[in-house]
This record gives sequence, structure tokens and C-alpha cells, in this order.
Amino acid sequence: MANFDFPISDRIQDLRDKRKRINKDLRLNVERNRILTEYYKTHLHEYPILKRAGYLHDWCSTREINIDDDDIFLGDAGPHTRTVHFDIEQTGAMWFRSNFGDTDERFRAAWQVPGSVWVSDEERKYLLEAADFWEENDIGATARGLFPDEFFAGPMGAFAKFLNGSYPGHFNPNYEKVVLTGFGAVRAQAKEKLAEIKAHTDTDNVRKDIFYRAIVKTCDAIITMSKRYAEGVREKAKTATPERAAELLKMADSCDWIMENPARNFWEGCQAILFYQNLLTAEGVHWADSPALIDSYLGPLVENDIATGALTLQEAQDYADAFLLQIGNQIIMFPKPNNDQLIEAHANGKTLYDLQGGGQNIAAGSLITLGGQKRDGTGDYTLATELFLLAYYRMRVAEPSLALRVNKHTPPRIWELGIAVSKRCGGFPQFNNDDVIIPQQLERGVSLEDARRYGVFGCVEPAISGMEWSMASNCGAFGGGIGMLQTLQTVIHGNRDPQSGMERPGDAKKLYEYETFDELKEEFVRLAKAGLDNMARMNHFAAFVFETEWPAPSVSAMTEGCMDSGKDVTWGGAKYNATGTMTNAIGVVADSLYTIKKLCFDDKTLSARELYDALADNWEGKELLRQRILNELSFYGNDNDEVDELATWVTDFWLGYTNTLSGPNHGHVNMGILDLAWVAGGKRTWATPDGRKNGEPLSPSADPRQDVVKNGPLSYVKSVAKLPWIKARCGGAINIRMDANSVRGDEATAKVQELIQSFFDMGGIQFCFTVADTEIMRAAQKNPQDYQDLIVRIAGFSAYFTHLAFDDQENYIAKYEIAV
Amino acid sequence: MDYKNATGHIYDIQGYAVHDGPGIRTTVYTKGCPLSCLWCHSPESQRHEFEVGYLQIKCLGADVCQDACINACPVGALSRNEPVQALDGSGAIQKAKIDREKCTGCLKCAKACITKALYATGWDTTVDEVYDRVIKDRGFFQNDGGITISGGEAMAQFEFTLNLAKRLKDSGIHICLDTTGFTPEKQFEEILPFIDLFLYDIKHMDSAMHKNLTGVGNELILSNARFLAEHGGALQIRVPVIPKLTDKESNLRSTAEFCASLGDAVKLVQLLPYHKTGRMKYERLGWRYKLTNVEPPEEAFMLKTLEMFQNHGLNAQLY
Repeated sequence: MANFDFPISDRIQDLRDKRKRINKDLRLNVERNRILTEYYKTHLHEYPILKRAGYLHDWCSTREINIDDDDIFLGDAGPHTRTVHFDIEQTGAMWFRSNFGDTDERFRAAWQVPGSVWVSDEERKYLLEAADFWEENDIGATARGLFPDEFFAGPMGAFAKFLNGSYPGHFNPNYEKVVLTGFGAVRAQAKEKLAEIKAHTDTDNVRKDIFYRAIVKTCDAIITMSKRYAEGVREKAKTATPERAAELLKMADSCDWIMENPARNFWEGCQAILFYQNLLTAEGVHWADSPALIDSYLGPLVENDIATGALTLQEAQDYADAFLLQIGNQIIMFPKPNNDQLIEAHANGKTLYDLQGGGQNIAAGSLITLGGQKRDGTGDYTLATELFLLAYYRMRVAEPSLALRVNKHTPPRIWELGIAVSKRCGGFPQFNNDDVIIPQQLERGVSLEDARRYGVFGCVEPAISGMEWSMASNCGAFGGGIGMLQTLQTVIHGNRDPQSGMERPGDAKKLYEYETFDELKEEFVRLAKAGLDNMARMNHFAAFVFETEWPAPSVSAMTEGCMDSGKDVTWGGAKYNATGTMTNAIGVVADSLYTIKKLCFDDKTLSARELYDALADNWEGKELLRQRILNELSFYGNDNDEVDELATWVTDFWLGYTNTLSGPNHGHVNMGILDLAWVAGGKRTWATPDGRKNGEPLSPSADPRQDVVKNGPLSYVKSVAKLPWIKARCGGAINIRMDANSVRGDEATAKVQELIQSFFDMGGIQFCFTVADTEIMRAAQKNPQDYQDLIVRIAGFSAYFTHLAFDDQENYIAKYEIAV
Repeated sequence: MDYKNATGHIYDIQGYAVHDGPGIRTTVYTKGCPLSCLWCHSPESQRHEFEVGYLQIKCLGADVCQDACINACPVGALSRNEPVQALDGSGAIQKAKIDREKCTGCLKCAKACITKALYATGWDTTVDEVYDRVIKDRGFFQNDGGITISGGEAMAQFEFTLNLAKRLKDSGIHICLDTTGFTPEKQFEEILPFIDLFLYDIKHMDSAMHKNLTGVGNELILSNARFLAEHGGALQIRVPVIPKLTDKESNLRSTAEFCASLGDAVKLVQLLPYHKTGRMKYERLGWRYKLTNVEPPEEAFMLKTLEMFQNHGLNAQLY
């Protein structure tokens, strides 16, 4: 790495330190919601997409242009650096009433604590008033206006009522076009289309006319914003030192140019990405909008800068470092904490920042994808790939996430860098296997050239960068809807949930009523199909809510397909469409099925009635039986074909059936294997046949249960590799923790690469690992201030260890460790 | 190729043994060793016969299993210990207590113990059984990985080790033999064609010191190393660096000289700094750990030693 062994420059170090300081002094982005509310209040009957574009234009023209004295790159979607974004049009009135409308004392204890978060009295008053307007005008209201009654009565009733958390977003926006083409050309194209329609207006193109007008307005908006930044930095230059003034004037020149025109150099390319990210955030607070393949199109720009002498390598590295810090400044408040949670956090010395992502610091769900292939199938690795990998190594940040695509063209140096970064920044990058993901795309009808340009968004989800509109479905396991484990529990306990005591209508058998194991499997399949069908039906309606009232012109302006078809992404304009959802707890499900099959049906050493009773009593008085199950059976994760076949059967069915369902806009429903909160999920899950007690953690994602892996890492990896990954179109997570000893030295690095390649040869889709000794994590629990940089991989994302809740820390430590 | 389905005593099979030769390897650990090195990090490998190991943390208390081990013991070596708090906070429990003086090693308690807190330190197996297990990991071996047969001293169970090597060789698997070198030359001669790489320990160059530290002199070990080098064996020499015991400059220097004298046969020298991770295992066997006043060597010293080996023209690395 000799070429890049630069020290971190002082100004980069300052930016990094500033970010840490701001984490302890967060402000909400009230500005965005104020501009939005005022626009929507005064344009009640404007057509939805024009209303969206009109608001964006207001936002770009009137928002505060925030420029800090130390900025290397510009722009934050709020008036301050690292503002916390939220979308009032989705939050609904209820959250504001119960939290901001609480007593003054409790409001202050929750929201006016310096060192955590500050919402002023004026902001509080404004947001409460605004919430009154949104109660009958928000996304939940649109949903209530068109959903059938059955949705509100079913298990997803609460979700249906508010469409909570069903963020649009979860996609790889077309940053490439922003950088290489710009909005000027898009605006010109829209104007041409409008002229054509004007000449031949008919029934079919009225909505297109509206669409193209919205696009013109959106293009104007972002170009205006860029030019306002140009003015802003020129103003700053007047009072700056001569050296800084020269830099600022150069930035001003660039801001006058970019967004309208193609970027001319590395800085402009990076800045265009950042401004577009701001626009997307302002539009819909798009969760998990993820810049993919940035090294592909920024590579030639930086290579040219180096070749012409415009930049030194050190300067290019500075820009990569600064870009990474800047793009990670995006924080979306998710989930929105309530006052009790915040007050409790404050009592424990924690902050709003610590509560983000359920205490797991996932910031905005964003993910950067590097590497991969060009459209012709050759490798796509550039100088920028190295610069950005090194930026992660140097900055050691936990957001945004990082994916590295690997294939037969991946240069040894990229492997080496990827593994070096991963050793230092737990789980960054995740390695993604082109040899599985590209064929996966072909199977769902993507062309080979397009498939080669996939990116990964959110946690682990592949999508075609810049061409695909994908919406997260919250009707899957996360949203409390349908999951493998819930289905299995119904098979065992019938229609009564043993933890909550809630009864569902209809007939359902109990575990001791099945004659054969095949009959049990049939019932599982019947229940699962009914649940998944219902999920698909709800997805269509959820998408229709957005199509009706909540389009996304800032996405459509750039997404492949929209400009040609004259359709917004929410109307099906994108070249590809998908809805993604996840299933989880493969380990618990497979081990439970295996316990039932082996003990109750094959060996007949345990009656189904006795197992049922033991479960109903949460193993109370049945410790010996529980220990027998835990110690005598060889569970998923030990390369035991008997149980792995069941893991494969259940996953194959689940993924395969989902792949046949229809998604919104004639797209697919993609299913993946991921869990973000197996500790919390475990608390909500009653005892299971694999010896797990009520409330104990689930197995994470596709990983085995922590405490049942007995045969070492190769068996672990092999069990996971047997799953039908080719069908997991929404991706999946495997995460191994390795001790520092087993990855020490260059030779060990080569072996990690071989391990990943072996797993990929066996059909694995994704791999990540974290290096952290138990000893180090114990020390970090005791002295968190000394271990602020310790990053660990959770599931689809990584987090600072010291930000995790105590339960999650304990569970992470217990997770299987490769000890050599 | 003909091989015999010989039987053996082994105590572990481990995948991803990254320090036991090139590539990703699965290592078979045979039981029993003619040496007893003071720093040995796997005491359970030393004796040929199986012992009872006791991993106390796994014992859930005699109430759960209704005294399973205590009832199983024919000589009354097991009893209930003083009550302690259970880890899950469920109250006081009485774990098993083992009287090593009385224990005859019949292993009946290990069979009875449901949580495997009491366990046998190994099992009887055959070449076929081991083969069936390790071949499952083949997908990870890529170009340079494979199987390592380690110990104890694998050559102490010569029939088993030889036949396992033949069986694996027949399937085209890369085989390393991890050895102390303390075995008759004739056996090395016989097994040589089936071993791709010998992981060969040189623990001390002074025979008297070697005897003090390991229980045997080093003459046979050094002459076998020469024999293998002269007859086409490939060697990866492993040098334990144990502060106060093997880390004298003169000893390390003559070790380097010896390695260099073996010529091209030496593919790599691994310098292995002392570590303490084996300590817990002594407790489980009820043995005393002898190196209580030795600490791992300093990184700087290891780097200096590495440089010295490299200056002898050797391909050397730490770990």
C-alpha cells in the first residue's frame, strides 16, 4: 500500500472530530417540513406530482444555504450539518401529539437536552400545528382512503392505518446520470416532449404532459440550488484568507456548472452526488437511497485529474475521505423514539443519536457499492475504487455501509484492500458475489448488460443501479406480518399465540394432531402461501398509495425509463420494478423442524404431545429434555445434511414461492434472508422446539444459532452455503466473527480470501466478517470512551460497538467466534 | 492405492486451521506424544489414553440431571460441590466435584453427563471415519489447502497415520504432517512419499536443554530432519520462542544455522511466540500449569529474531 500511505490531513481530521461533536448536539430538520407544510397547505388541489415538484422548487429556492468555514464539500439536506431528517407527511399527527404535545416538563426532558438533541419551543409549537394539518392529509390518510376494510382488521391493521415505516426509497438512484449527464439535458428532453404533446394532445398523454412539467420544475429546482451555493461560497470568499478564498472561488465556479452540466473533474463528480442526495432527502426522506458503482464513473474523472496534474494522489485521497464523511452526514430519524425512550436514554448518559436504528446507529440505511463489471462483462475497478476503500480504512466510519462486488476480474490488490478494511472496520465491506447475483437478475428478466450494473442498497439488497424502482415491503417478517417462524409457531400452537394469548379466527391444528411429518410440512406450506399471498396483495395497495398522491419526480428525472415513458417511478415508469421483503431466523426454524422430525417422527423417542406440553410451559420442569435436545442434536451450522436439508427445504419453498408473486408495476416480489433485530425479535417469540426459551434471541439472518455450532467455521459456512441463494433475490447476510489471531499477517489475509471464494464457489451470495476479540469487547463495555472506534457487523449494517444496547452487546459477544 | 482401515485415538478435528500449513486446512489431532513440552498448549494431547475433562461452566448443577455423573461413578470420585449462583440467575446450584485421586478414568461419568461438562478427551476412530469427516471440507481447500495430521505426535500412531495419509493421497488431497520428529527414521522413510509438507518442530539446539524442556534429547529429531531434507521431503520448520527457555540469542542463531544447512528442503520457517491460551485446558484435566512466570515475548524481539532468520537466507515469518 506504499503509494497511498498518506497521513490523514489536519482538515480531514477536524471534519471527522466535528462529526463526533455534532452527534452529541443534534437538531431536527424542521426547515424541510416547514417548507413542505406551507406549500401543501396553500396548494391543496394542485395535481400530486406538480405539488411535489412545486414544493421541491420552493425548498431549493428558499432553504438556508449552509456553508461551514471548513467545508471541503457542500450541502446537507437541513440547515445545519448532520441535521436529523424526518418526514412529517408520513409521521402523522399521533406521534407529534403524544410526544411534542406531552407536558412541558417531559418535552424538555426528552427534546431539550444539550448533548443529545435540541428542539426549540417555537419548533415544537410549529410542528404540533403542522401535525393538525397532516392528520387528514398525510400518507396514512391516503391509505385509509383507499384500503379495503379487511386490511384494518387483519394482523397488519396498525400498519395499514398509517402505512407506518413503509418508506419509499430503498433503491440505487441514478447518480451516474447526475454526474455524467446532468439535469440540463433532462430538462431539455422534457421540454421537447412537452412540445410534441402540445402538437398532438389526446387522452393518453395528458398525464405525461403533467409529468414532464413536473420534471422541468424539478430540474430548475436543483440547478437553482446549486447556483445558490455558488453565490454562498462567493460571499464567504470575501472574508476568507487568500488561500481559502481561492479554493472557495473554484468551488463557486463548479457549483455554477454542475447539476445542469456533466461534471468535469473528481470534485465536481463527488459534489453532484452530494447535492442529488440532498434533493432526494428533501423530496421524500428516502430511506436507504444508496449510491452504487460510484468508483465506475468517478474513476475516469480522478484518473484524468491525476494525469493532468490537477490533483496529487494525496489531494485525491483527501477528497475521497471528505466525500465519505459528507455523504455519511445524512441521518434519518428511524425509528422515531418516544419521550419515555429518550428520557430513559438521557438518564443512562445516551443520546438521540444512540437510539437511531433501534440503538444500532444505522443513520440512513445508505450503502455505497464499489467494484463490479462494465456492461460488456469486463471488470470495473478504477483508481476511485482504491481511494474509497482506503477512505473507509482511514476514516473508520460506521455509515454509510459498504459493499464490494467481486468476480473473476477482481484485482488482487482490491481483494487485499477489501480484507484490510474489513479487519479494521468490522463488516465493511460486505463482499458480494457477482456469479450468483448477476444470474439472479437474469432469472427475473433483467438483460445481461443491465444485470452487470447492479448495486446493493440498504443492507444487502441487489438492484439495477439507476434503472430500478424498488419499494420496501413492511408486510414481511419485520413488519409483524408473515414470517417463517411465525408460521411455524402457528403450526405448533394452532391459532393461539402462546406469548400474547391472542386468538386468531379459524381452525388450525396443534403439534400433537399431525399423523406424519409430511402432513405438518403441508400445513406449513398452506399457511405460508395464504400469508404471502396476502402480503403481495397489500404491497399492491401500498404502492398504489404512492402512485395516487406521493410521486417522486426527483427520482424519475434520472431513473432509466421514466423520461421515455412519461411516467413517474411510482406509476411504473422505471425500466425495472421490484418490491423487497425479508425472512429471518433460518437457524431456529430449521433446528425446530429437525427436532420435531427426528425425535417425534423418525426416532419416536419423544411424543409430540410431550414436546407440545414442554413448549406450552416454556420448558418449565423439562430442563433435562431441553438439555438433551441442545446437546444431542447436531443443528444447522454443523454441516449435518439431515438438518441442513430442512433448512434448504423451508428456504427454497419460501424464496421460490415469493418469487412467483406479482409485485407493483408488474415487477417482482423479491425475498431475502436478513434480520436487523434478532435480540428484540427473540423477546417477542415464545419458546421453540430447538430448546430455545421464551424471549431468548433468535438466530441472526442466515447464520446458525450462536450456541449450537460445534464443528468449527468450515462446517458453519458450508451449512449456510447449502441454502438456495440463487433464489434470494433480496440478498442475505452471513456474518462470521473472527478472533484477531486468526486474521493476523498477510498469509491469513490470503486465507480469508480463500474462505470467501470457497463460500462463493459453493453458491454463497454475500459474506462479511468482523474481527474483535471477546477480551476487547469486554474492555469496551467497561471503558466505552476508549473504544469509540470499535465497529462490529450487526446484520445488513455495521455499528459502533459502544452504541449498542447492553443486550445486543452480550448477544454479539456470545455469537460464535472462530478461534484457531 | 491399498490402505488399511486402521484404528486410531484422536482428540479433535478442526476446520479452518490457518496456522497449520498453506491454504485453508482441516487438522486431525491424534492423541499421545513422546514429548511433554513445558509450554504445551494442548495437554490433552499428551497421553495416549483418554482422560476425563471437566468444563465446569457447562455443569448446570446436580439437581437438573439428578446426580447423573455421581450415580454413574463406580468408585465415588464424584460428589456435589458447595452451592454457587447459576449463571442464568436462577438461584444456587451444586455442580459436580471430581476427586482426581480416586478417578480411575473409566469415563462412565462422561457418558452420563448430558451437557458434556464432563467429557472424554478424545475418541476411538478409524481411517474411513476420519476420511469421511474431513472430505466434507474439500470445497474450501482451493489450490493449496488440504489436511494436516497433527498431534500429540501423529507418528506415535504410525499405522493409523500412514494409512490415513495413503487414503488422502489417493484422493489427491494435499497433506501436511505436523511432527516433533521424534520417531524412528524408518517410519519417516515409509511415510515420506505420501506427505506433501512436513511441519517440523525444532525446539532447542542443545540436547541437554531439549531434554529438560521436553523430556527427550534432540539427536533423533535433528538427524530425522536431515534425513527428510536429503530424501526429497519438504519442510516447514516451526520454532517456538519461549522467553527464558528457548529465546537465548545463541540458541536461536544455531537454530537458524541448522535450518539453513538443510538447504532447499526448508520452504518456510515459522517463529511461534509463546502464548498462554492453553492454560485453561490444564484446569479442565486437573493438571498444574508449569510456566506460571513466563510472559509472551515482546513484538520487537520477535521482529529482531525474524530478521536474524531472514539474514540466514531463510524464508521466515512470525506465527
